[in-house]
Amino acid sequence: MYVIIAGSGIVGFHIASLLTEGKHEVTVIEPSEEVVDSIHSQLDVKTVLGNAATPTVLREAEVSRANLVIAVTNNDETNMLVCFLAKELGAAMTVARVRNPEYTGYFVSAAKSPSAPRKIIRPKSLGVDLFINPEVEVAEKIKGVLSSLYPSPVESFADGRVQIKEFRVNEGELTDKRLQDIVFPHPCVVAAILRGGEIILPGPDEYITMGDHVYLVARSDSMDEFGGMFARPQRPVRSVVFYGGGRIGFLVAESLEKQEIAVKIIAETNSRCQEIAARLERATVLEGDATDRDFLIEQGVPSADAFVAATESDELNILCSLLTKSLGVPRNIVVTNKPGYIPLAEEIGVDLAVSPLLQVASRISHFVIHGGAIAAPFIGGKDLQVIEFVTSATAHIAQRSLTEAGLPRDAIAAAIVRDDKVTIPPNDSVIRPGDHVLIVSRPSATPAVERLFK
Amino acid sequence: MRIKVVCHYLGLLVAILGFFMLLPLVWSILTGDPVSAAFATSAAICAAFGLLLWWLTPVGEGKLSRREAILVVAGGWILASLFGSLPYALAGTFTSYTDACFESVSGFTTTGATVLTSIETQFESILLWRSITQWLGGMGIITLFVALFPILGIGAAHLVEAEMPGTEAGRLTPRIRDTARAVWLLYMGFSALELIMLLIAGLSPFHALTVTFSTMPTGGFTGTNLSIAAFDSVFVEGIVIFFMMMAGVNFGLFYFLLWKRQARQLLRNPELKVYFGLLIVVSLLIALNLSADLGLSAGEAFRQSFFQVVSVMTTTGFTTANFDIWPTFARAALLMLMIVGASAGSTGGALKVIRLVVLIKYTYNQAIRAFNPRTVVPLRLGKAILSDRVVSRVIGMTVLYFLTLIGGFLVMSAVGLDHETALSSVIASVGNVGPGLALVGPAANYQFIPPLGKIVLMGCMLVGRLELFTMLVLFTPSFWKWR
Repeated sequence: MYVIIAGSGIVGFHIASLLTEGKHEVTVIEPSEEVVDSIHSQLDVKTVLGNAATPTVLREAEVSRANLVIAVTNNDETNMLVCFLAKELGAAMTVARVRNPEYTGYFVSAAKSPSAPRKIIRPKSLGVDLFINPEVEVAEKIKGVLSSLYPSPVESFADGRVQIKEFRVNEGELTDKRLQDIVFPHPCVVAAILRGGEIILPGPDEYITMGDHVYLVARSDSMDEFGGMFARPQRPVRSVVFYGGGRIGFLVAESLEKQEIAVKIIAETNSRCQEIAARLERATVLEGDATDRDFLIEQGVPSADAFVAATESDELNILCSLLTKSLGVPRNIVVTNKPGYIPLAEEIGVDLAVSPLLQVASRISHFVIHGGAIAAPFIGGKDLQVIEFVTSATAHIAQRSLTEAGLPRDAIAAAIVRDDKVTIPPNDSVIRPGDHVLIVSRPSATPAVERLFK
Repeated sequence: MRIKVVCHYLGLLVAILGFFMLLPLVWSILTGDPVSAAFATSAAICAAFGLLLWWLTPVGEGKLSRREAILVVAGGWILASLFGSLPYALAGTFTSYTDACFESVSGFTTTGATVLTSIETQFESILLWRSITQWLGGMGIITLFVALFPILGIGAAHLVEAEMPGTEAGRLTPRIRDTARAVWLLYMGFSALELIMLLIAGLSPFHALTVTFSTMPTGGFTGTNLSIAAFDSVFVEGIVIFFMMMAGVNFGLFYFLLWKRQARQLLRNPELKVYFGLLIVVSLLIALNLSADLGLSAGEAFRQSFFQVVSVMTTTGFTTANFDIWPTFARAALLMLMIVGASAGSTGGALKVIRLVVLIKYTYNQAIRAFNPRTVVPLRLGKAILSDRVVSRVIGMTVLYFLTLIGGFLVMSAVGLDHETALSSVIASVGNVGPGLALVGPAANYQFIPPLGKIVLMGCMLVGRLELFTMLVLFTPSFWKWR
């Protein structure tokens, strides 16, 4: 597959690195010569120097044969223009990162039919197939975790009917039992176990030990009942402290406010505080430094139910959340731009580290999988991928059972959804065209899985 | 630095080399000469050593760093030269091992300087192996390696860049492996075409093979004492001239022409214009010089001068005339062409036309700034503007090139050669040309040079083939520190 990436900031660079690991052909367009040099010493990609929003540069990058163009420069307008031009010049699929919500969510009523509001910006007419907004994605993820009883991330599939959720094992009841001996309240599949930074695809006689992260696939409506088996549920979040005056904190705070949850936001500069205070109605906005222990105690942070660190600095975020943990805040969430920090942070006591970057990678990764994948987020860092396939009539696997088709060793089928019926774990009946099949696989096995659905 | 990883790839490389020894082995069996045992043993040694090294040093995941890549490339060329000399040593082609090594280095680096005093008395299979080493070295053994094996992402890019410096800008495809494949495919295509044409021209299969294997890499070995002059055929000379000229062109341009159908790239390339311009202008000047001084007819003068100019400028080293007995101007002009060399991204060696162009433009800009320091004059190359960093890299490379020439010249003088021989032997070695002037001229060979001199020249050839830096960084202490 041939992919062009316009802009090589943190997001662009990491997408390029993920794609080259998957043996895809990648060209990066970047206006800065220094950045181009550093890309060259790290990635096996072609680079084109210049402004991606110009036809000459795009043509030099051979946009006409591109299967996917990902525009992730710092500028929303540039990104949309890149996609528009790329589409006109023959690119098959385009993705633009657009941060400003006005572009994607502004509706007007058309003069002819006042009853039917429509978006001013319609992606199709702009040539953009997918808008992505990393901050919004991360905010959604944090919201999901805060509103659940367990501080762990979740991904939904098949129109929300099936979920995969991560649980931390910290209760004695299940530990040191074999998987096949555990009685689950509902049908489910233990898709993977993360132990000591390493992903295990468990067999039936795998043991569960204290400190494991268990990835469980089950119907969405029964998911919360599993939680109690692995860990003691925490009390619902009633108060949250945010650190950082950036967009992520603001977005989460705004929606939590509506749920009647008490919110405090700590920001470092007075001007940013003023701005946030003006836009949020009930939140308490504090000007100060969250590495200051006395300041935190004075502001009552220790009695909060959750602490979210979302400043620009990854290191600061991790440090502050450790500090609040020591002060007695039961949940802490850290936003980090460096995926390499995630296992490290979770190792030293951060409950959840989320990365805008991995969110973006998760959102677009299914585009590079052939064979009708409609979602393929990464879970547990980037070592495991959950792929939702829609079986086509010509697929290799259609009209065969799973054992007959032969899944690769590093992949398991976790669920089959036919019409409204969810089968977990999948039985060995024949897979029909139109079935949604959920596969959990290591990235290295993904190409082999792909072939089954091609 | 992980020595184990380096050894892993070097092992594989040596094993591949052993595989290519099978071709002369087959030839040896077909012609029934007594050196087939030498080839069989050499191939077995290469395979055993290579595969054992490869097997003993398993590598897991992990990328090849730039440092490791440089070591693989430098070590790969040295090992290839050493193992490539085995057939000569085992067949007893030379009396000393230094000579066997010299011939092997001269082969792989596509220099084409020989220490054989008589070529036609050698076994055909040995001569074929000489030409095969040139063919392997021409487009680069490491590049072939990258094209063949599905390795290492960025590591592959580091390898190719260390072998063909300057490809950073000339990467043709998003994945470096595809680039390596494309250039090798072009190279093989040209070689096949030349082989067929030479056969049509009436050469025996043996001569057609050896000449082909030495033309496309701009090598210069033949199976005859008199080089191409031995065939005494205008048709053969024409074919060889054409393919030498093609081998001296940036292969990226062919790629754009054939894969991307962009003839514009070819026609508007500033380097290509200067390359052909120089070939024609210098040929005409030398032809004038020849007909004035030696009294040759215009046609004969041009025929001789054109062949020699193309051969020397592309750093091939084939000859149809002994240019050492030519008038002084012709000899000097040829010596200068040996320094200029062919285009970047071609199989030719020496400084490269593009660097000459950049240097002249840079000097011109400096001249303008001398009388008006406030003018801002960008350095244009075709449509592109070169940044200061690119220009300074070119200047650094040129300075180093001349320092190498000066150093080599002093050493060769110290071992007792006269000035002309010393200078031209170093220029011809660093530029991978082959024949020089005076005692190392087209009619002579490198046999008489003392062992120390031969070793220095071998170093010059290797350093010149890898465009200096890849070999020379091995001598900087900081390369080895901080593993």
